[in-house]
Amino acid sequence: MKFLTTNFVKCTSKACDSTTDNFPLQFNDCELIQEEQEFKPEFLLNILDRLDWSAVLKVAHDLGNDSLPQALPENVDPEDPDTLALLKDLHSLLLETNITQGEMKCRACEHVYYIKNSIPNFLLPPHLA
Amino acid sequence: MLPTPDVAADYEKVYEPAEDSFLLLDCLEQEKDYINTHYSSSPLVVEIGTGSGIVTTFMHQSIVPNGLFITTDVNPHACLASKATSLKNGGTPYLDSIRSDLTTALRDNIVDILIFNPPYVPAEEVPGIPKSEDAYEWLDLALLGGSDGMVVTDRLLESLGTILSPNGVAYILFCARNKPQQVVENMEQKGWQCEHIMTRKAGWEVLSVYRFKLL
Ligand SMILES: C[S@@+](CC[C@H](N)C(=O)[O-])C[C@H]1O[C@@H](n2cnc3c(N)ncnc32)[C@H](O)[C@@H]1O
Ligand SMILES: [Zn+2]
Repeated sequence: MKFLTTNFVKCTSKACDSTTDNFPLQFNDCELIQEEQEFKPEFLLNILDRLDWSAVLKVAHDLGNDSLPQALPENVDPEDPDTLALLKDLHSLLLETNITQGEMKCRACEHVYYIKNSIPNFLLPPHLA
Repeated sequence: MLPTPDVAADYEKVYEPAEDSFLLLDCLEQEKDYINTHYSSSPLVVEIGTGSGIVTTFMHQSIVPNGLFITTDVNPHACLASKATSLKNGGTPYLDSIRSDLTTALRDNIVDILIFNPPYVPAEEVPGIPKSEDAYEWLDLALLGGSDGMVVTDRLLESLGTILSPNGVAYILFCARNKPQQVVENMEQKGWQCEHIMTRKAGWEVLSVYRFKLL
C-alpha cells in the first residue's frame, strides 16, 4: 500500500463515522520499501490539491518521518528550487514509499487492520460488520 | 479501437474477463470525451470488484492516463491481480488495491469516477467470504448477487451520495433481470441523473451500463 493511500482510507466501522478519530488510521510495526516511479511535477501538484496535510504529517510521524513542513507553501511554484526539492521529497514519500506489512489501528474503536503483501485488509470480522 | 489490456490473473480464483467486462470497456471508450471534459486531469478513479483489473488498466492506459487509481475487491487474489495486470501493461504513477467491501474503507465524498461490474446474477443469496484463501468459492462471489441479483448493487446505490465527490459519476453494469429501468426510476426520484450508455446481448443475458450523477 502506497503512502498516498493512507490519505484516502478510514476505519470501515459505521459507528466510527460519527467521530473524527476514524481518519487517519494509526500505523504501527510497518515494513517499508521504496519503489521507483518517474517524477512528474505537474502530477504531484494535482495530488497536493487533494491532500489532507495534517493526516500526511500524522502518518509520516507514525512511520518515523518528522522532517515535513508543518504546512504546505501557499503558492506552489515548481520553478522555485526550494519548492522543487519539496515536491521531490513528497514524490518519494507519497508515490514511492510502499508499506508491505504492518498494522493500522482506528483511534476511535481501536480495531486493528492488517497490511499483508502490500494489500491492506479492511474486511471486518462478521460480528463487527 | 483502443487496445484491450493483457491480463495477469489465475482464473481459478479471479473472475476471467467476459462479455460484461468488455461491454464496460466499450462504454468507457465511448465516454472518454465526457470524462476528459468534466474532470480535472487527475481524477480519483475507483473500481469496485476489480477482479483481474482489466477495467482499471484500460482506464489508465487509454482514458485518463493522469488519474489516481484505487481498486477494491473482497477477494485477495483479485487485489493482487489488479496490480499485476496494471504493471504488465506499463503501470501508472499511482494505483493501489485494497481489500474491502465496496468502498467502505474510503473517506466520504472523494471519488470522482466510480466503476462497478457487480455480482449481478440472481441467486438465493450472496455467498459469504470463504474462510480459506485457496477456496474455489471466490468465483461464486464474482457472480451471485442474491435477490434479483441486486443485493450488492443496492447497497452501493444507497450510499452513492456519500461516496462520490460533488461532481462525481458512477458507471454501473446491470443485467436485464436486475430490472435496471426500475432502478433508474427509483434513483431519479432521489435526485440522480441517470444516463443509459449501452446495451448488448451476451448469450442469454442482456447487459447494460448506466451512468449516475447527482443533479
Ligand atoms: C463480475 S466480477 C467483475 C470483475 C472485473 N471488474 C471485470 O469486469 O472483469 C465482480 C467482482 O466483484 C467482487 N465483489 C463481489 N462482492 C463485492 C463486494 N461486496 N465488495 C467488493 N467487491 C466485491 C468479486 O470478487 C469480483 O471480483
Ligand atoms: Zn473504528
